[in-house]
Amino acid sequence: MRVDVEDLVVTYGEVTALDRLSFSLEGGKIYGLLGRNGSGKTTLLSVLAAFRKESSGTVRIDGEPVFENEGLTSRVSLIRDAGETTDLGTAEDALYFAEWLRPHWDADYARSLMDLFGLTRKMSVKGMSKGMRSALGVVIGLAGRAPLTMFDESYLGMDPPARYAFYDALLADYMEHPRTIILSTHLIEEVSSLFEEVVIIGRGRLVVHEETQTLLSRGTAVTGPAERVDAFTDGLTVLGGTSLGSTKSAMVYGEIDEARRGRAAEAGLELGPIAMQDLFIHLTGDAR
Amino acid sequence: MRFPSRLLAANMAFALLLWAALVVLVAVVGAVIAINGSLTESAWEKAAQVPRWYALFVGVALVREYLPMYIAHGQTRRQFGAQGAVTVALFAPFLALLLVLGYLLETGIYALAGLEQALGQVHLFTDPGQLPVVFTEYLVEFLAWIVAGAFMGAGFYRWREGGVFTIPVGVGLVLLAESTVGPGLRLPFLLGRLGRLGLDLPKSPAVALAIGLAVLLAGLALTWSIIRDVPLRNRWS
Amino acid sequence: MFDDRSPIYRQIADRIKADVLSEALRGDEQVMSTNQYAAYYRINPATAAKAFQQLVEEGVLYKKRGIGMFVSPDARDALRAKHRESFFADVVDPMVAEAKAIGIPIGEVIGRITELEGR
Repeated sequence: MRVDVEDLVVTYGEVTALDRLSFSLEGGKIYGLLGRNGSGKTTLLSVLAAFRKESSGTVRIDGEPVFENEGLTSRVSLIRDAGETTDLGTAEDALYFAEWLRPHWDADYARSLMDLFGLTRKMSVKGMSKGMRSALGVVIGLAGRAPLTMFDESYLGMDPPARYAFYDALLADYMEHPRTIILSTHLIEEVSSLFEEVVIIGRGRLVVHEETQTLLSRGTAVTGPAERVDAFTDGLTVLGGTSLGSTKSAMVYGEIDEARRGRAAEAGLELGPIAMQDLFIHLTGDAR
Repeated sequence: MRFPSRLLAANMAFALLLWAALVVLVAVVGAVIAINGSLTESAWEKAAQVPRWYALFVGVALVREYLPMYIAHGQTRRQFGAQGAVTVALFAPFLALLLVLGYLLETGIYALAGLEQALGQVHLFTDPGQLPVVFTEYLVEFLAWIVAGAFMGAGFYRWREGGVFTIPVGVGLVLLAESTVGPGLRLPFLLGRLGRLGLDLPKSPAVALAIGLAVLLAGLALTWSIIRDVPLRNRWS
Repeated sequence: MFDDRSPIYRQIADRIKADVLSEALRGDEQVMSTNQYAAYYRINPATAAKAFQQLVEEGVLYKKRGIGMFVSPDARDALRAKHRESFFADVVDPMVAEAKAIGIPIGEVIGRITELEGR
């Protein structure tokens, strides 16, 4: 589903969580939503899912405002870390309601996901560990098959095998039932290869929205003798760097053309890729 | 609008379990007292004061648990509001029916045991055999307690501690309804006149029903005013 | 042969080329689908598709509409020719530079090569 966010502002009393945020997603892809704590990720997703009303600006999904729009909300799903179930009853009760309220619910798929995560139907939701509860949320989020499905750090408390089971299931189900998926995460190393596009926000504003591979190709680590690295990076956007003795590694952001590559080779400088994680750290700034 | 079959079913199934447990408990306690030879009043009448607290809980849970779940599952607040209203309107008579059933059971057992099913409190009915009136009394009571629970639950869900301001209104709704079926509301820990809040209202099933409906509608409207644009909380933040 | 930056789609492309060179994949043989590659490497299918796109442009693969991707009949020969072209620059020159840096006389390197050749 297409998502258009325009001048979106959300304030909590004195605090501005989203500050004239604008971007558009054409839909049908897996998007990564990255941002530091307090950057506004959860607030943004909450507005997209009509969990909360915007203070100003517009949010349109397939061209329509989403808040209290039942034709749209039934096609949008957001799972946060607590799994979006009630505290009452068992896992079975949670599925009972999900099945009834979600128009595209796939009960067989839900059952196989329950097995995948080692959940049983008779487990009491209140007695579940955080990881189990997150897993139940993942089951509800995936089996709901909403055309716009969002997960907000839904992996919290899940151990690495469970998380990778989630990533594999998500990818497989996305390929079988293509839809728009937005994943918000701090575990960038683990999931960034799933993203076709990345949206990075910081302090309620858009930092970058780019195709993943393009974004990665924009980042280059230049390594070599310090003074030669400095000479080479002069005039380029340098996100940061580290030194070890007389060797320096600088992170450069932006396209490096063939001529420059040639010069780097002549100067004995090594050009290497930067991982998404490092790009993210340097793009979203100081340690605050 | 869709009929809230699963919301009702889930609540009714649980209520039925609680009712069965209460019946067993009353039977055991009643039997113990009867064996000691002092069971002279309806035991169910005493037990029937407890379910109103469950009704309050159902009202609270409706907003605290089911509203967030509905929204998270792609429903609007409006859709939930409609389904919630129907649920309250049907769940209260269901609970009232269970209480009537309790009196009926007791009448049968007391008759077999040769006991007198006397009433110890002021009611809309003077005899447990007046089934429609018994039903009306508990219906009005449950409508008020559920809707008051929903309203106060909404207040606390939306404003956390700030929700205390909904308590006087919630208590007022309950008080109004209780005053039509009995002496009003007996507050715990306060004795005598201070502990007894009530309005002097004529005791008639018609008046009780009219006021019960008014309380229901007012409570639903008040609850809606809080939840119509309420943001969802995250359970763990 | 390797770019100094190696995004995942390039790694996939290289993997397929290596399979063609070693004849693990033969001419007109169908290669696995983008989705299979995506699941295997746990990557977005669009990224896997990029690798295929690159290989189609290079003439290593060709597309049969509605069926999938196949190895070009002359892919292996073309790849061999290409690698022959860059062999000295990619393999021999760095080897000689390395030998010089660590002080192995070139004569010894040649001796070793002759020895391997004779086996």
